[in-house]
Amino acid sequence: MEQNPSNTSHKTPPNVVQTNDHSLGNIEGSSRWLILWAGLVIAVPALLIFLYALSPFQFSIAQFELKKLPSESLEEIINDSTNTDLAGNKPVETFLTQDTQHIALNDSQRAKNIIAGGFAFQSSLVPFHMPIFTDSTKHRILLIGDSEAGGLRYPLNDYCLANGHKFIACVEWYSATVFNFAKADTISQIIRKYKPTYIFIVMGLNELFARDLKARSSAAKLLAKKLEGIPYTWIGPANWAEDNGINDVFAKAADPGTFYPTKTLELPRAEDGRHPNNKGYRIWMDSLATWITHSAKWRIPMNPPTKRARPLRANIITINAAKYRGY
Amino acid sequence: MDINWFQSAIQDLFSAQFWKEAFTYSLEKPWFFTEFSFLCAFGVFLIGYSIAFTKESLRKVYIILFSLFFYYKSSGPFLALFALMILSDYLFALAIERSEGRKKKLYMFFALSYSLSFLLYFKYANFIIENCNFWLHTQFSPKDLFLPIGISFYTFQSISYVMDVYRKEIPATRNFIDYSFYMTFFPHLVAGPIVRAKDFLPQIFSPQAINKALFKESIARIIMGLVKKLFIADYLAKYSDIVHLAPSAYSGGENLIAMYAYTFQIYFDFSGYSDIALGIALMLGYRLKENFDNPYTSQNITIFWRKWHMSLSSWLRDYVYIPLGGNRKGEFNTYLFLMITMLVGGFWHGASWRFVFWGFAHGLALAFHKAWIVLYTRKSETPSWLKSPQKWFNTFLTFNFVALCWIFFRASSFQFAFQSIQKIFTTIQWVDFQGFWFARPEIIIMLLVAAFIAFFPVKLKLQGIAFLQKLPTWTWIIWMMIALQIIVQFRDDVVQPFIYFQF
Repeated sequence: MEQNPSNTSHKTPPNVVQTNDHSLGNIEGSSRWLILWAGLVIAVPALLIFLYALSPFQFSIAQFELKKLPSESLEEIINDSTNTDLAGNKPVETFLTQDTQHIALNDSQRAKNIIAGGFAFQSSLVPFHMPIFTDSTKHRILLIGDSEAGGLRYPLNDYCLANGHKFIACVEWYSATVFNFAKADTISQIIRKYKPTYIFIVMGLNELFARDLKARSSAAKLLAKKLEGIPYTWIGPANWAEDNGINDVFAKAADPGTFYPTKTLELPRAEDGRHPNNKGYRIWMDSLATWITHSAKWRIPMNPPTKRARPLRANIITINAAKYRGY
Repeated sequence: MDINWFQSAIQDLFSAQFWKEAFTYSLEKPWFFTEFSFLCAFGVFLIGYSIAFTKESLRKVYIILFSLFFYYKSSGPFLALFALMILSDYLFALAIERSEGRKKKLYMFFALSYSLSFLLYFKYANFIIENCNFWLHTQFSPKDLFLPIGISFYTFQSISYVMDVYRKEIPATRNFIDYSFYMTFFPHLVAGPIVRAKDFLPQIFSPQAINKALFKESIARIIMGLVKKLFIADYLAKYSDIVHLAPSAYSGGENLIAMYAYTFQIYFDFSGYSDIALGIALMLGYRLKENFDNPYTSQNITIFWRKWHMSLSSWLRDYVYIPLGGNRKGEFNTYLFLMITMLVGGFWHGASWRFVFWGFAHGLALAFHKAWIVLYTRKSETPSWLKSPQKWFNTFLTFNFVALCWIFFRASSFQFAFQSIQKIFTTIQWVDFQGFWFARPEIIIMLLVAAFIAFFPVKLKLQGIAFLQKLPTWTWIIWMMIALQIIVQFRDDVVQPFIYFQF
């Protein structure tokens, strides 16, 4: 049973057992270049994917966006800009209002100005007394959300019509969670298609009891990153029970002053006991509109409508019921 | 073009912080084969290997150093524990070889006790404490223990080496570097395959020639492993995880699909890992033994255990079942030994009664199958027209039994496992599947893809591999790039660790 490996010029201890399981070759027959090439085959694609994640570029093939690896650097950037929590968001006194309607700026410049001037909440990263502007531009409004969006769109439509905004589309993604919004390229595609200037995003009703908050926090930050450059309001879920912390997760992920904590409202509910009923959605929208007009980071005119339940002409996009539920 | 991002990336690359993080252990980001930072580091390691591989001693030391670094990046301070085990078993093996009679047995006893003590402490201490508290009404407080990655694997590997020396199947390795190489070789270090010294040591002195065929085979296996783990297993995990969090909240159909999802998840997770391990080892010129051989195509549970986690099942056979007496001590004892072996196997997977029960169920099935063969196969010959349908039925039965047992493996408690099984057997309706297809077609599609690969005929698989071998060498960087981007497209930002890392 014991024998020395033959066919090798290397020094081999006499006590090694040679088995017949492998056809042992000779290392001398190896190609140095092949090993070198193997190293490059492994390292270069991994490195390119790293670099792509860090770069500002976004490539697509046909309709498909080439996603990026969620890199640490990217996470750090996101973390740096969202270093506040729900409890830490304290309203700052408004002392200046400026109409930006007549300032001729392109969309991206306008967005930047609004971002720079619109801080309404105090955070460790934001100077305490920032001048606050009210943007009176007539906006192209996009509403994205889980099933709550389906109820909220009607009172939102009334507000849009009353204030001269154009409600361009409502994406209702039944049973969706933050993972859906963060990971699918749905939002990017919708934004590309409808070119909104203001986004409302509402979700969380399906994840009140979620315990994997760390994972959801990463997803929420990625979602906030996707919205970057366009003013938005992130509407917290209409809690029908105490959540396990999803509101805090969203509040931390959203830009300071963009998260509206719906959980503080007492809303009448529909028969399922979970969704608000029509009256509940109206109360919700009224409260939200007041907050957007006076306290939000990105303020737009949202004065109460005189007529209610007006015809809805926005594009309604409904995504498969319960698709990706829970993750 | 805005190149500030590139400049800042380069600056990051040369910053002290980057290098500090690159060379220190992070509890949040331990290294495993699917970490992109590992892939980059491995690529750089290979570049160095192209210089070191021709000189035997340099090659061994270079691989040992990288292996130790790999283990440090995976388990941090537990590297010291691992090093201690290597040193002690090396010395024990030498002492066993040089002694005879009672003294030899004593050394063997100490060697086994010593190796197993680490495993017992880190893996089973809290289990023992909890059971003592429950059964004996004691009040010991559980320890805050961190399970060192791969401890179950390298402990078994170490035991096999010492036992082989004791049985005089192999001589003790005199060169400490050789033994360290065998124990630390990073492709099999943290999650197997459990390598036997007699299979691996000869290769240390004469690795395979790294030619074009080997290069293509190794890269193909790495790509295949990455896709299996990061694309298929992790995608299916997203669904099976949520159902197993609260099985009673889901319908019978959803529970059944979660059962199949986990069945494929665990296979693609572990076989994907094994593929990467084998591919990496091959790239260095070493061939590890296969760990899976299309296990879900097995027609009975005995064959299943010959094809599933083969390095563990053969280890259990050689170091538990046969030493107990195997099939040499009568029919009853054969069944008893089989059951004990499977209970050990179950307990090896985790410190929980669920794993013991899982082992018990498999042990029972193995004993039943053995008895079935004795009772029925000899009496009647299956008609030829029935052979093919019988094969399909047998495969179907075996697969579903294995899948059902995985519920105990995956569920977080017995209560949840029984809830899931109850849902499957009592509330299942056709409408569940219709609704599921409407709601989550992508999970069904992924399950079909997984089933197609798992049940794919072996001959066609070999033909596929032969086709891959024809692709030009220079193109493999493109295939790797495409595979990695596909993984990123479907990647969860929270990647599941390899299931078998916890064992």
